[in-house]
Amino acid sequence: MQEKLVTFNGEHLFIGNFGHALVVLSFLTALFGALFYFLSVRENSDAYRKIGRSLFLLHAAAVAGVFITLFIIIQKHYYEYQYAWQHSSNELPLKYMISCFWEGQEGSFLLWMIWHALIGVILVFRAGNWESPVMAVIALAQIALSTMLLGIGEAPFKIGSSPFELTRMASPDLLQAPVLQSIGQGNYLQVLKNGNGLNPLLQNYWMVIHPPTLFLGFATAIVPFAYAIAGLWTGRLRQWMSPALIWGLICVAVLGTGIIMGGFWAYEALSFGGYWAWDPVENASLMPWLLLISAMHMVLITRATGRHLVTTILLVCISFFLVLYATFLTRSGILGDASVHSFTDLGMSGQLLLFLFLFIFLTALVSFPTSNGKQWFTVGFVLLVFINLIPPTLETAGIAVDPNFSLGIRILDVTAFVFAMFLFVRNLLKQQGGDVKTEEHMLSRELWMLAGSLAVVLSLIQVFLSTSNPVWNKLFGLNLGVLKANDYNQIQLWLAMPIALFMAVSQFLSYRKTPASVFKRDAILSFSIAMAVTVISNFIFRLTEVKYWIFLLLAVYVVVGNILVMVRMKQKGLLGGASIAHAGFGMLLVGVLISSVNKQVLSSVPVDPSVQAPTLAENITLFRGKTAQMGEYAVTYKGFDDDGLNKYFRIHFRRGDSSLLRDSFTLKPIAQNNPKMGLLAEPDTRHYLWADLFTHVSYESSLDKEEPFSGFRSDTFNLYRTKLSADGMRRITLDSVLTSMEESTGTIRVQPLFRIETADGEHKAGPFHEYRLDAGLVGGRDTIVDAAGMMIRFDKFVPNNANPALSQVIVTTATREPKREYVVLKAILFPFINLVWAGTIIMVIGFSMAVWRRIGEYNKQRRG
Amino acid sequence: MKAVHIIGIVFVGIALAFVVSLYGNPTRYVSFPEAKQLAAENPDREYHVVARLDISKEMVYNPKKDPNYFAFFAIDSLDNPSMVVYRNAKPQDIERTEKVVLIGNYKGDHFEASSILSKCPSKYNEELSKENLGR
Repeated sequence: MQEKLVTFNGEHLFIGNFGHALVVLSFLTALFGALFYFLSVRENSDAYRKIGRSLFLLHAAAVAGVFITLFIIIQKHYYEYQYAWQHSSNELPLKYMISCFWEGQEGSFLLWMIWHALIGVILVFRAGNWESPVMAVIALAQIALSTMLLGIGEAPFKIGSSPFELTRMASPDLLQAPVLQSIGQGNYLQVLKNGNGLNPLLQNYWMVIHPPTLFLGFATAIVPFAYAIAGLWTGRLRQWMSPALIWGLICVAVLGTGIIMGGFWAYEALSFGGYWAWDPVENASLMPWLLLISAMHMVLITRATGRHLVTTILLVCISFFLVLYATFLTRSGILGDASVHSFTDLGMSGQLLLFLFLFIFLTALVSFPTSNGKQWFTVGFVLLVFINLIPPTLETAGIAVDPNFSLGIRILDVTAFVFAMFLFVRNLLKQQGGDVKTEEHMLSRELWMLAGSLAVVLSLIQVFLSTSNPVWNKLFGLNLGVLKANDYNQIQLWLAMPIALFMAVSQFLSYRKTPASVFKRDAILSFSIAMAVTVISNFIFRLTEVKYWIFLLLAVYVVVGNILVMVRMKQKGLLGGASIAHAGFGMLLVGVLISSVNKQVLSSVPVDPSVQAPTLAENITLFRGKTAQMGEYAVTYKGFDDDGLNKYFRIHFRRGDSSLLRDSFTLKPIAQNNPKMGLLAEPDTRHYLWADLFTHVSYESSLDKEEPFSGFRSDTFNLYRTKLSADGMRRITLDSVLTSMEESTGTIRVQPLFRIETADGEHKAGPFHEYRLDAGLVGGRDTIVDAAGMMIRFDKFVPNNANPALSQVIVTTATREPKREYVVLKAILFPFINLVWAGTIIMVIGFSMAVWRRIGEYNKQRRG
Repeated sequence: MKAVHIIGIVFVGIALAFVVSLYGNPTRYVSFPEAKQLAAENPDREYHVVARLDISKEMVYNPKKDPNYFAFFAIDSLDNPSMVVYRNAKPQDIERTEKVVLIGNYKGDHFEASSILSKCPSKYNEELSKENLGR
């Protein structure tokens, strides 16, 4: 091999080897930690538990070490490492260096591991007699994640991708660069002085806090799952729910915050004009959240009434599978062109799928009551894995695989998955024992909460089915397109209605049975108030369609109903968490409805509806200094400020004649003409309490290509003589001819000064020639006047000494369309969008109160 | 029948309705000639076309005249060329994208795209790696 012969100079190899060693250590400690925790459960041994615990703590330290090592490599600009080279640069400010961790796949797996490790450490000390089984599951997840960073083997059997891979190993082409021929390949670091830099879109405050929050949410989702598995495994079929509820609620709160932060970032910093686009990557984070909400409600029902244990366990487990599935979707490259911001494929899709199926398999495995069943099930799973390895093995050996064979294997996989889930449910049904068989009372909270939970599951099913279209295409060789955002909106609109109804009503009900009179009184009272609020508020909202009226009514009903519940509550305090969360969600629904249905594109220009859909004409061209009327605003483009990187366009808005509504302000949307990514636009928004005025630049005049000149013509001017340009649009006058001489060099400059009059005004042009007495013509300059769209080339000066007015200036003129500075602008008015943010914040506060309440309850229960 | 059974039946019913409505008549990926043919049957239905830009032909975007008219030529994955009209601002990174997914339908002599999906971040890295070697 060529590389062995070359000595590479200036590399910092130790730190990378150290980092890699820590990855291996974290893998081994997770592996043995899981093993000892497993043995501790099996043998009921405290000694094993202690070994498992030490190993896990060591594991957490190793993961932290990997993180710090990688950060040092990025911070010190060691570009011999692929990760630093690809995701950072010398110019990158320290505050964004942390963002490098989530631009790359390896870094984001690492971040996930850090959170798992931290949660694991908390559980080690807080989980009490649940420690061994719960930590066995978490250590198992850490095995899976740490293999993602191992980076050993060759495709298609490559295991993980190391963040400490050297640049020259990852991109061997680099050493073949022509520039290295002269200085030698060994000195490649002399050339590799800067990295590729972080995607400018990620260099944003929200992108520093949104991904870690989202990943913390993802990471906490494992805990309820681990408790459910622990419960099944150790035969504590119902006791697992109290701690799982706490962690589930934490997950719902954190993941919800992370999701909406992403939406807020998209709204504030991206130019797609909204906070939610139903992009597959967004949906991937929404899916576990939706199901976990449903699962936590089921936990409440089962805990309070003993009913529906199997459904509860099933939903808790599937929420975790959805976290794994989301990871698979966003990291395997399967979304391909369906999403604008998924990661690129690192060849790990097989590994990701294997882990997804491994966790499903293990979940089903613990449900088997007999070891005989467990053995058969394991044999089946191992067989399935081997069958799946056949096609890649054959391909590596150079044998072509019949596509029908591959399709057959995939269908087998899906069947096996369904069968495993079937066995899981069957085993649970056999074991559950003591499940309440009597009929629910019609006026019981559990019945309507169940209905509400299932309505959320329905909403999830639609998102899941549609987001997975690229997966179905791959699995079954189908040809399904992606759903557009509006399709999702139209379906989810109907699904949110029953959810809202159940959210409003079930809070008035008690578990088991509610006195009909109490229920009627509160339900009817709050419904009447909601009706009145809806009718009155629609004078402001002005919704026109019946479906939106119903939606508004139900969303308002959620808010009013839950406020009434709080008012009626005898004992205030943390008990109100659920009602606050529900009221916040209702407010969020109102905000989503109004801000999207009544969204008003101010910049849309009237179009002929017979030619095109009017909704599409959303951009307007504004010339500098010109004013256009947009809605009730007079909008003027006043020019731009340039800081060398970004252009800040000054867009002035003025509204209203009456003093009440008068407002005048300047928005400064940003455009960066990035040489690598084209126009990067960052919107600017005027925030009112009742609405947001959102504006961004879609295009600007400096992106225009230089047009060629035409109508070349030779013109002879006398002084004060005026001529029309070839197209008749400009008047050109020779005002004077300047002659000057520079003494030191003996250079004489002759410069005719022209005045060009166009429809916009007057422009000056002064081409010149320079002569030296000994050498004749030595230099000169033609003039291009962009604003007049005019070029004047000075060809010859014929002086007339007797009558200077008769001196002749001979020039070549040519014209093109005058360049005019302009921006293409989009301006959107989002009414009542603050309800979206306020609703979310209230909801998260409610969740947090619920978490505190359940922690208190759990501690009391443990003490008592 | 118990109330909970009714809830269960309604749940399964709606779930099945999804499958039928989402997959009974789904949006599909087609080629330009197919899109043209299908437009004759149902002019309002939208389809997906996977295509790449034809860089040899000029793109038309003249915001001074109309900021909501962008026209270009594209070649689908089966090498059929077509003119594409996108009645919106020119997408920021369109010249840099190798592959685009066009969603829309055929109108007369051209494909009328209602949205264009293009992917850039990965491309961004790739392009840079080649470029900054000389720095």
